[in-house]
Amino acid sequence: MTRAGALSILVALVAFLAIWQLVVIVSGFPPFILPAPGAVLGRWVSAWSNGTITPHLVATLQEVVLGFAVGAGSALVIGYVLARSALVERLLSPYLVAAQATPILALAPLIALWFGPGLLGKVVICALIVFFPVAVATMVGIRSVDAGLLELGRSLRATPRQVLTTLEIPAALPSILGGMRVGVTLAVVGAIVGEWAGAERGLGVLINLARGSLFDIPLMFATLLTIALVGIVLYLVVVLVERRLVGAR
Amino acid sequence: MTAPGARGAIRVDRVDVSFPRRDGGRLPVLDALDLSIDSGSVVALIGPNGSGKSTLLRVIAGLLRPDGGAVALDGEAVTAPDPRIGLVFQEPRLLPWRSAADNITYPLELAGWPVDRRRERLDQLTALVGLERSVRANRPAELSGGQRQRVALGRALALEPLVLLLDEPFSALDALSRERFDLELLRLWERAGSTVVLVTHSIAEAILVADRIVVLSPRPGRVVADLPVELPRPRSLDDLDAAAVSRTAALVRAHLGESAAA
Repeated sequence: MTRAGALSILVALVAFLAIWQLVVIVSGFPPFILPAPGAVLGRWVSAWSNGTITPHLVATLQEVVLGFAVGAGSALVIGYVLARSALVERLLSPYLVAAQATPILALAPLIALWFGPGLLGKVVICALIVFFPVAVATMVGIRSVDAGLLELGRSLRATPRQVLTTLEIPAALPSILGGMRVGVTLAVVGAIVGEWAGAERGLGVLINLARGSLFDIPLMFATLLTIALVGIVLYLVVVLVERRLVGAR
Repeated sequence: MTAPGARGAIRVDRVDVSFPRRDGGRLPVLDALDLSIDSGSVVALIGPNGSGKSTLLRVIAGLLRPDGGAVALDGEAVTAPDPRIGLVFQEPRLLPWRSAADNITYPLELAGWPVDRRRERLDQLTALVGLERSVRANRPAELSGGQRQRVALGRALALEPLVLLLDEPFSALDALSRERFDLELLRLWERAGSTVVLVTHSIAEAILVADRIVVLSPRPGRVVADLPVELPRPRSLDDLDAAAVSRTAALVRAHLGESAAA
């Protein structure tokens, strides 16, 4: 990143914190409605150092990573089949769209009922929510492969496997990774929603605890901050992978 | 004339091709087309738009199964893409995510050549098509139009084909680069000795390059004229001023006009 780029990000952050602080001063909201940025930051640091956050963060990360892997992995396969078979697309797409259009919030209690309050239910929810954007991106990406390049492959007697690895996957990669960018942030949403539907650990649970029995609103904000950071970091990981794989084009 | 044992002779025997039409009928593109191409010769295919020149090339390349008739290479039927045939498309058709070098060696990679042999062949190929060493690592987007077509040519020659099929390969280049490429193609042909079939729109290009000019009729394509080019080799751009050239050009034009009127 350039110096100017880093500087502008810093300026925006400072401005955000300043406006937040200003709202706290002008409005006179009590800390249990809107704590000042300094208070949140202080609570964030203390929650880290006394080990409040870590187990919840680990639980949520586990759900997100596993759910993303399962959801994106199956989406790659199904997306490819959808791209290559008009029949499968006609048969499957109504269900895919219906599954996507049903709010995950409404499905979460059902999934918790079926898969129990443990890790599995959250992984299922994350996988479900990740699946659609990645499957659509894969389908679009595979379909976008230049027909001329496919004919070239045919003229060079490429095997179906070679067509997949040397033409289809490289050509579809930018689109697939775009879908994964969306998917990875949605996976965080899925994990939190899943935890709300019933869990013992996780950042979603911590939010509920902070709001309810603990009534520690600065901790709630600190948890929100943590969730946001998880989303940002995972997103950046995908962006980095994308730079590695397709950046040089 | 085909010497005994010479290789790269093509025989196109009563080839019919038609494409499905929107209304359910068939659009005839090639009509009982016969063509015989001697081993090691250069033949230019010329004809109006829609005369099926590219289609004929794709049939010879084994990319398109004709409805009727057959294509044979050295007496052996061609029914699928064949390693003895190299193909250069109208567009370079390079893999945009690969370097120039990796595009040239792509056929070798698909054929399972080990890396060190690929590298060796790459050196020969880049020298053959005149690609600067300095741009080998560049992606297609970082190459000029001419460099891209050199890469495509190198790729087509990678497996040392007996036959090189070119579908208006230089049509995207400006007139000056195009003439230079035509001459380079000739030098390349003199060294490799492969049979060359060149689809072109340009009478001058056909005369400069070919031993024979085959004129196709408008759809459905048939051979309406098969004209020898009587120019000594090696040829140069100056040859284009010779009297034989204007005579040949006039003949080609006459047949093109006749076929268009028919």
